[in-house]
Amino acid sequence: MKDLKHMIYFENLLDNADNELVEQAKKDGKFIMGYTCYHIPEVLLNVDNCVSVRLRAPRTGSIDISTYYMSNYVCEFARALLERAIEGGFQFLDGLAAVDACSMMNRFYEHFSILKCNEKDHFFLPILDVPYKTEDFSYRHMQRQLETRLLAAMHENLGVDISDAAIRKAVAEHNEVCKVMQEISEMRKADNPVITGYEFHVLNLVTYTCPKYLILPYLKETLEELKKRKPDKQLPRARVGIVGSEIDDPEFTKMIEAAGARVVFDRHCFGSIPGREVIELTDDEDALPQIVRHYMNTSECARYIADNKVHQRRETADRLAKEFKADGIIYEQMKYCDFWGFERALVSHIMADEYGWPILSIDRLYNARGSGQLRTRFQAFVESLEIKKIQKGGKK
Amino acid sequence: MVLSTELLGIRNALAEKREIKAKKAAANGKAKFPNPAFFRAKDNIDWKAQGKNLMEVVGICTEMFKEADHKAFWKLQAERCKDDLNRCILEFKQATQMSPEELKDVFLNGEKTLGKLYRKGDMATVRREWKGAVDTAYDFKEWLKMWGMLLMTFSKDLVPALNSALYYRWMISYFCCVGFMDKNTFGQKGSALRMSHLMIYDIFRYVAENLVFLAKCDKKNGNSVLNKKVVLFDEMTMGQIMAGFPDLVGIPYQLMPVFLVSEIDQLTCIPYIDAVESFGLPADTCPVPSSECGALVIDALPHMGSCFISSSMPCDGSVMASEYMSRRFPDLPVYHLTFPVRYEYEETTQDAVEDIKGCIKFVEEITGAKWNWDAYFKQMKRFNEETAYELQKWEVNKTDYPQIIGPCYELFRKWNYEMDGGADPRTMRTFEKVNDIMMKAYERREEAWRGKMKYRGIVWSCPAHYYANFSNWLANCWGIDILVEMESLNFTKVLETEDKEEALMDLARLYERMVMRRHTNGGYHNVVDELWRQVEDWRAEIIIMYQNVACKNMATLQGILDDQCRDKNYHMIWIEHDLMDPRTVSRKNMRGKVNEYMRTVMRAEPIDPTLEEFDDETAM
Repeated sequence: MKDLKHMIYFENLLDNADNELVEQAKKDGKFIMGYTCYHIPEVLLNVDNCVSVRLRAPRTGSIDISTYYMSNYVCEFARALLERAIEGGFQFLDGLAAVDACSMMNRFYEHFSILKCNEKDHFFLPILDVPYKTEDFSYRHMQRQLETRLLAAMHENLGVDISDAAIRKAVAEHNEVCKVMQEISEMRKADNPVITGYEFHVLNLVTYTCPKYLILPYLKETLEELKKRKPDKQLPRARVGIVGSEIDDPEFTKMIEAAGARVVFDRHCFGSIPGREVIELTDDEDALPQIVRHYMNTSECARYIADNKVHQRRETADRLAKEFKADGIIYEQMKYCDFWGFERALVSHIMADEYGWPILSIDRLYNARGSGQLRTRFQAFVESLEIKKIQKGGKK
Repeated sequence: MVLSTELLGIRNALAEKREIKAKKAAANGKAKFPNPAFFRAKDNIDWKAQGKNLMEVVGICTEMFKEADHKAFWKLQAERCKDDLNRCILEFKQATQMSPEELKDVFLNGEKTLGKLYRKGDMATVRREWKGAVDTAYDFKEWLKMWGMLLMTFSKDLVPALNSALYYRWMISYFCCVGFMDKNTFGQKGSALRMSHLMIYDIFRYVAENLVFLAKCDKKNGNSVLNKKVVLFDEMTMGQIMAGFPDLVGIPYQLMPVFLVSEIDQLTCIPYIDAVESFGLPADTCPVPSSECGALVIDALPHMGSCFISSSMPCDGSVMASEYMSRRFPDLPVYHLTFPVRYEYEETTQDAVEDIKGCIKFVEEITGAKWNWDAYFKQMKRFNEETAYELQKWEVNKTDYPQIIGPCYELFRKWNYEMDGGADPRTMRTFEKVNDIMMKAYERREEAWRGKMKYRGIVWSCPAHYYANFSNWLANCWGIDILVEMESLNFTKVLETEDKEEALMDLARLYERMVMRRHTNGGYHNVVDELWRQVEDWRAEIIIMYQNVACKNMATLQGILDDQCRDKNYHMIWIEHDLMDPRTVSRKNMRGKVNEYMRTVMRAEPIDPTLEEFDDETAM
C-alpha cells in the first residue's frame, strides 16, 4: 500500500513523551496533565485549558535505577516510567492523575512523589481509589473520588474551570477525535483492509499522547487519505485480534504483522477498545456521572472482579473477533502483571474451549520489539491459523 | 446407595431433639460453641461412591507398594536404626562425661544444643526435645491433651472425616499437627512454653472442628444437611461478618486445604503450584492465590457451601483468584466483597459500608437466615476484650522483660484477629489464662527464652509459610527474640457495639485493616514510615525484613526501605523466600542470610552453633 502522508510524523511524535505538539500546547498556555490508566477518564484531563498526555516511556534502555527501587520482579511498564521520571523525562507535566488500581503502578506514582520527579511548584499528584465493581454505590464512589481528589485539585492548583459546561466542551472535543478514530477503525473490518494494524496502532497512540486540538487536523486528513487508499492485492495470511494488558509500543504490532498476520482489533490497554468510543451525554443529568458510567461500563480492565464484568470481558473478545472477522486471538500480558496474569491463564482456555477461538497466550516484557522468541511464536500461530483455514476449506 | 435405614431415622430424631435443646440453651445464653447440632447434622453419605473411592485408593497403594524399591527401603531403615543406636551411645557417653552439676542442669533445665535433633532426609526430628524434667513432663501432657482433643473432635462425626482423608492428600498432613506444635515450641521452657501450648491448642481445636465440617459438607461425601448453613469465605477475608449470623457456620474456605496446612508441612503446596503453572499461570504470582487456584485445578478443595464470599484482599493476586473459584464451582453463588484500597480516605468508608450491607443481604437471601444485631454486638464486645488483652501483651513485650514471643503467639494473634474474631467464647478463657501467666512471669522478670535473650527483634513483611517457626530458630540459634511482627500490628480501635450505622463503619474499617492489607495497601507510608515508628516504639535492635519474592506490594518498596534504613542506621536483615514454595528459597538459604549477617556485620557468635548449619529440606 502507498505510505500514509503523516505516518513518519506520527512515528516521530511517539518517540518522546514530551513531543513537539505537547510543547506547542505549553506555548499555547495549556496545562499538561499526565495519566496512565483507563480508570482515569481521559476527557476530564482536557477540561478548560488542560490537555492530557497518556504516559509512555519510548526508547527505554536501562531501567537499573528503578529496578533498585522497585525490584526486578515488577511490571516493566511501571519501572520504565519511573526510570524516565527519575531521568527528568516528565518534568513537562503540571499534574499527574494517579489511581491505586494495581499495586505496581501505584508504587510508580508514590515514587514519583517520594523522589520528587517533578520540580514545578504547582505540580500535584492526586491518587484516586477506584472500585472493583459496577454497583450503584461503586459509581457514586468513583464520582466522589473524581470530584474531591481530581477535579478539586485541578481547580485549586491550576485554576481550571471544572464546571459542567467546561466538562461538556471537553467531551465534545474528545468525541470529535473518537468519531474519526472509529471511522478509521471500521475500515479494519473489510476483507482486505486499507490500514495495517501497525498504522492504526500509531494513529491511536498519537490520540492518547498529543493534545486533541492539535492532532485532530492530521487525523482528519489521514482519514480522507485512507478513504482513497487502495489495499494490497494480497490478502493477509491470517487476521488476529489482541486482548490483554498494556501495549504502547507499535513495534509489537509490527512484529505480529511481520509474521504474516494482520492485527484487526486492539482490545488492550492503550488500544482503541475501549478508549475511542463516543461519550453520549444527555442534558437531563450532569455530565460527570454520565462520564463515570461511560468509563466504568466500557472498561475491560481485569481488575473488575464482579461476575458481570468477568463475563463482559469474554463476550467483548468474542464479539470483536466476530465483527472484525478475526481468525484467532492473541491473549497477552505484561510480564509480572497480576491481574492479566490470572486472567490470561484462565480465559485463554475458556475462549478456546467454549468460544472455539484459536488462541495464542503470551507474556512479554515492556520492551518486546526485539524478542526472537515472540517472533517465533507469532510465526507458528500464523501457520496454525493458515492450516486451520486450509483444513476448513478441505472439509467444504 | 444412600444410608436410609431405620438407624438413620433414629439418628435424625435424636439430632432434632438436640437441636431443640441447643436452641433452648441459646435462648438462656448458655449456647455451646460451635453448636453441637452441627456435628450431628444428618450425613447423606453415598456409600457406593465411597466404596469406589476406597477401591481406587487401595489400587494406588497396591501400585505404590509394587513399584517401591523394598530392598532400598529396608536398607535405609537399617541404617537409621544403626544411626539411632550410635546416637544413643554418644548421648550416653556425653552424659557420663558431664560433671554432676552439669548433669543436674541438663536434667532440670534441658539440653543446650538442638541441631543434633535434625537428620538429613527425615521428615521429623530424631527424638523429642529434652526441656528439663518438669517442662518435658508438661510438654508431654500437652501432647497427649492435643491428641485427645483431636480424637474427641473427630469422633463427633468420624466417618466423613475418614472418607475425606481418602480423597485429599492435605488431610494426611494434619495427622502431623502435633509435630507442628512441637516445632513451634522448640527450645521453649517455663511460662513461655505454657502460654504457647494454650494458644496453639485453641488454633487446632478450631482446625479440627472445621475439618469435620468440611468433611461433612463435601459433595464427595454426600453433602450433609449442614451444608445449607455453611457460608464460605475467602481465606484472606476476616470472619467477623458472620457474627451477625449465629445460626450459620462461616468457614474460611481455603484455610485448611491450603493456607494453614502449608505451615504444617512445607511440601504440601508444591503440587498446587505446579498444577496451576502448567495450566498457564505465570510463576511470578504470589503463592497464596496461586496455590488456591492450583488446588481448584487438581480438585483438592471440597465441593460445598451455600454461597461464597470472595474478596479483593489483600492484593491484586487475591482479587483474581475468585475468577477461578467461579469457574470451578459455577453453581456456587458468589458475593465479591471489595473494600477501598485507599482506606485512609474517610470518604470511602461509606462505600465499604454499602458493600457490607450488600453482602449481608446476599447471605440472607441465599440462606434464609436473618442478620442478628444482638449476636453481632455480643461477639464484638468479646472481640474488644480480646483486643484489650492483646494490647496488654504488647505493653509487656515493649519492656525490658518481654514475655510472650515465638511462633505460637504469632499464629494465635493472626488466627484470633482474622478467623475467630471473638466468635468462640472458649478463646476468652485462653486469653485470661495466658494473661495471668504472662503477668506473673513479668513480675518474676523471667526470660522468655532462657539464656537466649540477646537482641530485640521485629519482623516486617509476610513470613514464609514453609518456615512458620523461623522466629523460633532465630531465638534458639542467635538469641534474636522477635517481640512483634508486622502482621500482628493491626486495627486495635474499640469497635462500636451500640450504634448500628457506626458499628458497620467500624466493621468496614476493621476489614480494610486486615492482616497484610493494613500495611501493604493505602500508601507506602503504612509500611515504610510505620516500620520506623514501630522500631522506635519496641526498641528493636534488629529488623528481620522478609522478602516474599512474589509480593509486588512489598518488592516495589525495597529501594526506599534500604535508603531510609541506611539513613537511620538500623540493622536490617533481608530474607528472601517464596512463601509457600521452598524450592525457590529453602529454609537453609533463609537461615544462611541471618548467619552471614550475624557473623560478618554483627561479629557475633551463635548461642547454639549446632543450629547454624543443618539439613531440613524434607522435614515437615
